[in-house]
Amino acid sequence: MNGRTISAARGLEILARIILGAVFVYAGAVKVSAPQPLADSIASFSILPRALIVPLALGLPPFEMASGVLVLIGRPRRVGALAVLIVTAVFLAALGSALARGITVDCGCFGPGTAAGTRAKMWLDFGRDAALIAGAAFLYARGRLSRQPDV
Amino acid sequence: MFFFTDLPGTFAAAYTALAKSSEKVLTTETAPSFARDLAGVVVLAALSLAAGLILNRWGLSRPLALTYQSPGQRLAAQLTQLVSRPLLPMGEVATVGLDEFRAALKNHAALVLDARPAVFYRQGHVPSALNLARDDFAADYRRLKPTLDAAAQKPIIVYCSGGACRDSRLVAAALITLGYSRTTVFTGGWHDWSAAGLPVERSGVRSGGD
Repeated sequence: MNGRTISAARGLEILARIILGAVFVYAGAVKVSAPQPLADSIASFSILPRALIVPLALGLPPFEMASGVLVLIGRPRRVGALAVLIVTAVFLAALGSALARGITVDCGCFGPGTAAGTRAKMWLDFGRDAALIAGAAFLYARGRLSRQPDV
Repeated sequence: MFFFTDLPGTFAAAYTALAKSSEKVLTTETAPSFARDLAGVVVLAALSLAAGLILNRWGLSRPLALTYQSPGQRLAAQLTQLVSRPLLPMGEVATVGLDEFRAALKNHAALVLDARPAVFYRQGHVPSALNLARDDFAADYRRLKPTLDAAAQKPIIVYCSGGACRDSRLVAAALITLGYSRTTVFTGGWHDWSAAGLPVERSGVRSGGD
């Protein structure tokens, strides 16, 4: 029974690792060569000062790709999961802030889409980010509970 | 007495106890540290920013200026290549709804322009619409100027993605600034058009809708 429980948790960890890693590598890859639409998306949230918008638009896609790769390969054991957890929490807070202020934005999470930014899409993005946070928190908690060294 | 007669066993028990306590201490010392993980994330962020800046400087065909310029500011900068007047404020552009847009299209009563980037225009657009992208305004305008001037008696209707999209308003404001005063915006844009199941044209091929 215990063996089965451990095995199920390990299976869930592998699944979460593959999904989160793939989502983040993809999200970074589609934006890395076209940072201008991402900068416009970031600006539309009206949160960051103008001086930080372009550096964030340039740094975020490589950060997402690197985090995704770390989550996929599982080394270092917890850094990738924590990176994904933090960045998704920031996305979620920004989306929540825009929803609360009544601003309609296209999150630009997976590059500029043909679809228009709508409130319904924002709620979908919010739900997806919440699911990603749950997955990243699970992976990070698994990493902390593990006795394996963080190599 | 027992101590001396069972010396190897006593040593074994002591060793086991010491090993257990050492393991406990060792585990505590090497316990996963949130601060260390956070430091790893900070290093990752710094390396990513450096990679992004390097890519922007040497890897992109259109590098970004490090100080953010809004779409309106970028369009106004492009407009200076074409006219000396400043860009009309977006709020002064008139709008039309889906029914009025459809009627104008059906009667060939308006010239329709798609203000989205060319990549999205190629994926699908309103039939007969021409691509005057906000982000390539100056080049697209020069290309389309003969067509726009030939259809000068017709009003122009501009659309973009719909929803929160502002490209159509910006392009319409630029066209009015350039003298095409009968320019309006279809605010529903591509979102409302495709949601209504209306015909779609891809690379000159028309499909779907009624």
